Amino acid sequence: MIVAGIDVGSKYTKVVLLNENKEIIGTSNVRTGIDHQKTVEEALDEALKAAGISRDDINKFVATGFGKISVPFADSELTQVVAAGKGAYFVWPKVKTVIEVGAEESRAVKVDENGNIKDFALADKCAAGTGSFVDAMVRYLEVPLEEFGRMSLDAKGEVPMNAQCVIFAESEVVSLLHDNVPKPEISRAIHDAIADRVASIARRVGIEDDVVVIGGLANDVGFVDSLKRELGTEVYVPDKIAPELIPALGAALSGL
Amino acid sequence: MGKKVEELPQLKQFREWFEKRHEYAKEWKRKNGGKVVGYYCTYCPEEILYAAGVLPVRILGSHEPESITRPYLHDMYCPFCHDTLAQGLQGRYDYLDGVTLAQSCLHMRQSYFSFVDRVPNIQWSYYMPFPHGVNNPHAAPYLRSELEKFKSAVEEWTGTTITNKELDGAIEVYNKNRQLMKEVFELRKSDNPPITGLHAMEMVVSSQIVDKKDHNEVLEALLEELKDAEVEREAGTRLILIGSEDDDRSFLELVEYGINYPATFVYEECCTGARYFWDEVRPNEDRLMALAERYVYRIPCPAKDWATGELIRRRFQHIERVIKDYNVQGAIITQMKFCDPHELDIPALRDLFDKHDVKHLTLELDITQPVGQFRTRVEAFLEALGEEDLFF
Amino acid sequence: MEVKVRPLECWNDFKKYRERYYKNYLEAKDKGGIRWAGSAWAFDAIPHGLGEDVYPLTGEPYGATCAFFHDFSRQCLETIERRGVARDLCGYMRNYWGSIAQNKYLLPDGTTVEPFPKPDFNFTIHICCTHAKWYHYAAELEGGVPTYAVDISVGPGYLLDDKRINYVVKQLNDAISWMEKITGREYDDELLIKAVYAEADSMSTWARICKLNQAKPAPLEEKSMFSLYVLNLINRSDPEVAKLYHKLYDEVESRVKRGIGALTYEQFRFLTDNPPPWAFLKVYRYLEKEYGAVSLGAIYTFGLAGGWLGMDEKGEKWIWEPAPTPEEAGVEITNREEALRWTAEYNLRYRASWQHEYSHWIRKLETYQMIKDWNADAIIMHINRGCELWNLSTLEVRDYLVKNNIPVATYEGNMADPRDFDEARTFNVIDSFMQSMGIERISEK
Repeated sequence: MIVAGIDVGSKYTKVVLLNENKEIIGTSNVRTGIDHQKTVEEALDEALKAAGISRDDINKFVATGFGKISVPFADSELTQVVAAGKGAYFVWPKVKTVIEVGAEESRAVKVDENGNIKDFALADKCAAGTGSFVDAMVRYLEVPLEEFGRMSLDAKGEVPMNAQCVIFAESEVVSLLHDNVPKPEISRAIHDAIADRVASIARRVGIEDDVVVIGGLANDVGFVDSLKRELGTEVYVPDKIAPELIPALGAALSGL
Repeated sequence: MGKKVEELPQLKQFREWFEKRHEYAKEWKRKNGGKVVGYYCTYCPEEILYAAGVLPVRILGSHEPESITRPYLHDMYCPFCHDTLAQGLQGRYDYLDGVTLAQSCLHMRQSYFSFVDRVPNIQWSYYMPFPHGVNNPHAAPYLRSELEKFKSAVEEWTGTTITNKELDGAIEVYNKNRQLMKEVFELRKSDNPPITGLHAMEMVVSSQIVDKKDHNEVLEALLEELKDAEVEREAGTRLILIGSEDDDRSFLELVEYGINYPATFVYEECCTGARYFWDEVRPNEDRLMALAERYVYRIPCPAKDWATGELIRRRFQHIERVIKDYNVQGAIITQMKFCDPHELDIPALRDLFDKHDVKHLTLELDITQPVGQFRTRVEAFLEALGEEDLFF
Repeated sequence: MEVKVRPLECWNDFKKYRERYYKNYLEAKDKGGIRWAGSAWAFDAIPHGLGEDVYPLTGEPYGATCAFFHDFSRQCLETIERRGVARDLCGYMRNYWGSIAQNKYLLPDGTTVEPFPKPDFNFTIHICCTHAKWYHYAAELEGGVPTYAVDISVGPGYLLDDKRINYVVKQLNDAISWMEKITGREYDDELLIKAVYAEADSMSTWARICKLNQAKPAPLEEKSMFSLYVLNLINRSDPEVAKLYHKLYDEVESRVKRGIGALTYEQFRFLTDNPPPWAFLKVYRYLEKEYGAVSLGAIYTFGLAGGWLGMDEKGEKWIWEPAPTPEEAGVEITNREEALRWTAEYNLRYRASWQHEYSHWIRKLETYQMIKDWNADAIIMHINRGCELWNLSTLEVRDYLVKNNIPVATYEGNMADPRDFDEARTFNVIDSFMQSMGIERISEK
């Protein structure tokens, strides 16, 4: 049996193909275009190619993500909260607090020792704790996204970012640049600001070890470092599978 | 010629108390062996605590970003209530024995409740239903009955008896503090005010967090020094600061020291300014009534300034007097983000300033200030004011 | 399977009363009557003493009606914000001010008339930071309307003493003299006494109706309750309102006896918290249709319009039992002083929604006890950016409930500002919550 978990995010669409032994046989991660349904097909094709199978080999499709409505052929749907919880528990059975930071939204999910969802919190209207914020900041600093996170670890000191809102933060970054604050320090300030916002959401469900971060921003080492310092506890990024694929994995697991 | 104002040891003392407030309180405890009670809101009748040998200290924020309060206090509440609660949750007020609130705005109330519930070292707390209707004639007698209860609670907790003697002692120290600070403010009426808004803020806030006996000594010395102190800076545009808890140095430093157009705050109508100390306790056979009347009839906080029959705002009447007496040219209205009482007054306040031909600028404050944005706005404001002078 | 809501027989009576009420305010001056405006929580028995032709307009329900009609609300909000009014202020208030500023009066069917009828006086109370100031600014917008606000923040009901009650009574006495002066009318104590009796009757009866919702299946669902409770927020001291609530009680009690629920299928029971997002009541219908989930009520729905015993003397337990009327309490009201004292004490002691602003603890107990008494499976809390009083303690309550193993979901919105509500996010919260508890959609059954 093969199940396809499809996570249609606002920026990226991810697919995870799982067999009955819960082994990942193919994945994909494709930029979400204007035509979501077309993107879904592209993502699916890519994952199928990676697995070396055809669409007919798939027994079940489970959709999640904000754009899950763009998977009309889905056999069932899973909310992002449950997908994140299930996926994180699978790759990290000791998890109690799941923190997911995507392009447009952050969320925190509390799971128990059996992987059941106990509580959750979603970010309220604020882009300052999401991937979009990072995109905006990276533009101003004119650095590649991959370098942005690493740069933060090179900061020698702290430069607190004053603005609590991404709109103000953009012009604050400009001010910092004009004041010749080194880019590593600015990068760290930005990451600290994001971690601050994300921590606010996470605290609502209560921080309990092990804390696991998933979603695209989990790849940003600068963010993970800031989050660790803000929460005052170790923060794990699963390496069994790319962190942004974990909700799609959770969706696939629910179909088995 | 006396010393330069910026080098006056008294102003430096205020700054040190302002910056090292927790160290002061801990040292006071060690030396006196007494209890320290934190109070939210300047409607707290501190004299009653002081009369029992307690040091009342105002709970204030530290202006650092935080996330620790967010599970308990929603983002829609003001930065001040988050900042103060954060201090408690981070253990910075670990020396407080008790905390009290004289009922005022909802935001502070919520922060106070969480502070009481979650800060482990708090042994004693007291919520006083202080009247909101300070413009009605029954408020003072009602408050008097609440002060009676408060006094009993303080006596029971401290194991003391507060007689008229102790109350008189406290009132004397507090009134003296008020008189001395008023004298300092008086000097700012001059064309060349000797101190800035930043100095004034540190003076007033340090009064809120130290023993006023110590504060009075420094004030007396300061007044002596100011008689012939050398004022180096140009006063520039004479500004009034309207606000609430305006103890963020970065903002005051920006306006008075950080912009090419000279400007000085000559008066602060806020609770880290004149609203705290402007009114004294008047003699009365009934000491509790004296206190009740002082606290009810002081310059009201916007949270309590509303119509009971007459459409007047007592606070506005005071501001009008200040505009004249202090020759105010411009007003900076600093509004704590999400603060309803202030937001409600601001449209009418702006009309008031327009009526008196005082230009005004409104800025929204957060836990930390977007100094870059503020610089742009304040510069434009001062530049425009300066140009008017040029062509007048 | 399709889940339907069973209509109530006396629905139209309530609807007609409400329509008449707004029309009466509009036409008050045609026959020389008196118009007054104030909070829904104002001591509305007091102006009744000025005559039989006294017509109120309470602000919060009016603001809520504005919110229900999105477009009108947007116009109100934008108009008043252009005058420098901040966007995070109470939504009801901004709708009300915006209505005045546009000089348009909104009727319950969504039509508007001009001009906005100017009240003879404003009579209100002060409990949240903006309450009294609301009418102060409104009076100024209208070119100066005599305004009197009563300060009622004397602490929670279970800690009342004579001095605290007298503080309020004295203000009410002053208010009467003031009203006589403003209107030139002589005050009639008999009318006041009649109004005070009616007020307790209306509020205690609503509480009894709410209590009936403890039954399984629940005879009422909250969306309908919003249209029913509102009479206590517009004119609770009118004996006709009390009569209507008695009629409603009989009908709801009959449903309970016959085992008839508000929904044709009930698989999940939940409470809510805070005033709802008035522009998006579809959230309730979504839960009913998709999940067979019945919303039983909230501190808001029960406590705003009902009189409840509240905290016990020791402050340790919250008691959700209806408050006594004067007759039930063995009290006879024969003169002005007794009437003022009764109305002051009844409101201060028994208004559930005035208690929880004095500590987190009271609200925690209120909420937890309600969940237990009404056999709720969960609570879905509206984090209402539009009201700082109602949102007080919300997150602390949430934390308390989670620690006591009560499933809680929260969604952010605004009771009266339709721009402050994210529909997609809210439905995502609801679906996530239901899915996390394993509650299946009705369509999947």
